[in-house]
Amino acid sequence: MSMRQVFPEVPVDRDTHHRIEQFLFREARLLDEERWDDWLALMAEDIHYWMPTQENRRRADKAGPYGPDRGALYDDNLHDLTRRVTRFKQPSAWAEDPPTRHAHVVSGVEAYEGERAGEYRVHSTFVNFRTRVDHDNYLLGGRREDILRLGTEGLRLARRKIVITQSVLLAKNLNTFI
Amino acid sequence: MCNSSETPTRLTRRPASSPVDEMDRLVDMASGRMSREIFWDRGIYEQELDRIFSRCWLFVAHESQIPKPGDYLSTYMGEDNVLVVRQKDGSIRAFLNTCPHRGNKLCFSEVGNTRQFICNYHGWSFAIDGELKGMYASEAFETSGMDKSAHGLHPVAKIDSYKGLVFATFDAEAPSLAEYLGDMRYYLDAIFDMDGQGVEFIGGCVKSIVKCNWKFAAENFVGDALHAGWTHDSGARAMVGGPVAELHKTPGESYQVNFNGHGYEFNQDIVGNCASLGDKELMKYLYTLQPEVAKRHGEMRSRLIGAISSCTLFPNTSFLPGQNTFRTWQPRGPDEIELHTWTFVNKSAPQEIKDRWRKGTMITFNPAGVFEMDDGENWEYSTRTNAGYVTRQQDLYLGLGMASRLQGSGMPGNVFRGQINEANQRAFYQRWHDLMKAGRWSEVPRRDEPTLKEAA
Repeated sequence: MSMRQVFPEVPVDRDTHHRIEQFLFREARLLDEERWDDWLALMAEDIHYWMPTQENRRRADKAGPYGPDRGALYDDNLHDLTRRVTRFKQPSAWAEDPPTRHAHVVSGVEAYEGERAGEYRVHSTFVNFRTRVDHDNYLLGGRREDILRLGTEGLRLARRKIVITQSVLLAKNLNTFI
Repeated sequence: MCNSSETPTRLTRRPASSPVDEMDRLVDMASGRMSREIFWDRGIYEQELDRIFSRCWLFVAHESQIPKPGDYLSTYMGEDNVLVVRQKDGSIRAFLNTCPHRGNKLCFSEVGNTRQFICNYHGWSFAIDGELKGMYASEAFETSGMDKSAHGLHPVAKIDSYKGLVFATFDAEAPSLAEYLGDMRYYLDAIFDMDGQGVEFIGGCVKSIVKCNWKFAAENFVGDALHAGWTHDSGARAMVGGPVAELHKTPGESYQVNFNGHGYEFNQDIVGNCASLGDKELMKYLYTLQPEVAKRHGEMRSRLIGAISSCTLFPNTSFLPGQNTFRTWQPRGPDEIELHTWTFVNKSAPQEIKDRWRKGTMITFNPAGVFEMDDGENWEYSTRTNAGYVTRQQDLYLGLGMASRLQGSGMPGNVFRGQINEANQRAFYQRWHDLMKAGRWSEVPRRDEPTLKEAA
């Protein structure tokens, strides 16, 4: 894929890797438990949270399957994410009540030194299960590329790119974060 | 820009073998009652594919999506996959996306540029005008006396455009696009021709699956302003910090208009829909543009450019001014649609404004959007309840605003007072009913007399 930038991959030490992994696992649990405010607190002030939509184009097409000025399910800054959380928390968010049951599965965590001190480039894969009411069962999988930043309050998520495998989202909505 | 005079020599059709009897039992718009079976029955759905989707003008592309010769996109007309291709002479043609040899899908990419389409199965290759150019082992075909000119791609019957919106029909007997859209063109101009430079589609197509009957989505956008205040309360609170305006309290300031089953509901607040994107720069842009639009289209229409409003072009194309989402509800059986959505912006708008709109459309009206999220669930369960055998024998009510027709408003189309109304939905189902009953276009009742000239 043409858009993949190549960085030297310098693995972090084992302790740092463990801390990063635990950060991602805890983040997934907060989402499973719909602890939206606690999840928002993990975001850096300058977070860019991006889930581009995937287009089926021929390999020779230089445009590639996705890009920064194109379709996205999420293309959010902190303000945008906060707005989505505000909706989740409304008593009138009808499609959230009764609640959806979530399982955010995170695996394949690789962590490397970032371009700036105190930043890490972290790859992971995910599988997201959602079940709603009786039979609404949704599965979404893909790969994430994050930049985590170590600050005074611990790790924070500064960038997240989520590359999903579906080009047609096989669901009526996407009522969670990945 | 489009060809509309092509003779469809390569497109033949067999009429539905057994049309559904007793159509009159299903819809009675004079009393505002309708059957639930039209959202569930497979036989009715098959008849829709014949009498609605193989007959009506369907939206296939915006011209800005395929600007250069060889640019193409793959889309649907009903369940038929079609390729829409820009020709060397600048015209646009559309073909079934299937190889006429053994029927394989021809082109698997959604969008691109090409000089030819080549089938994966036996290497049949077609020029962008649909002509069969050659194939793998072509000598063998030549030896057997095959006439290549008789095996091109199957074209649509007619293709034409209005203000950059490209439509096609599979029915050679269909009226012209201008006649089909009729007086709705008056209102489309306010959105797709604000300043003489038109709109463009940006950001590609966002697609999702909703397990609902296509008519629930289409009728929602044709006239259901009512649902906004209730269904979208949570989204409004997220985006603007408060509830949706109580539209039912000011019926004197808003309208529903319809023509040939197309419908547009609107108030005249200029920026009401746009406001829900929560971006003041976009509202400023519209306020600045409004006087210019007023000069071009008059004060009334200039107040629609981002107002609280929605529109469906019969049967399955809809858009929201101000939120600038444009969409088709592609039928996939009686209980499923594939939803295709795009963001449209004025071509002349500054890049920064276009980017803001792309972002705003996507946080509100895509599958993860704060408004769209609650729509899908309503439409799915309005469809799925009809699995109940007794349930689907109970009829539904669509009688809001029965006595609200306005005479002498001076506005084109059938005009009704108050956008909180089900007049447009009734007109949508009346048109649906008329088409489902008619064996051919000449038998479709002409209920609406146009006031606009044929050529706009």
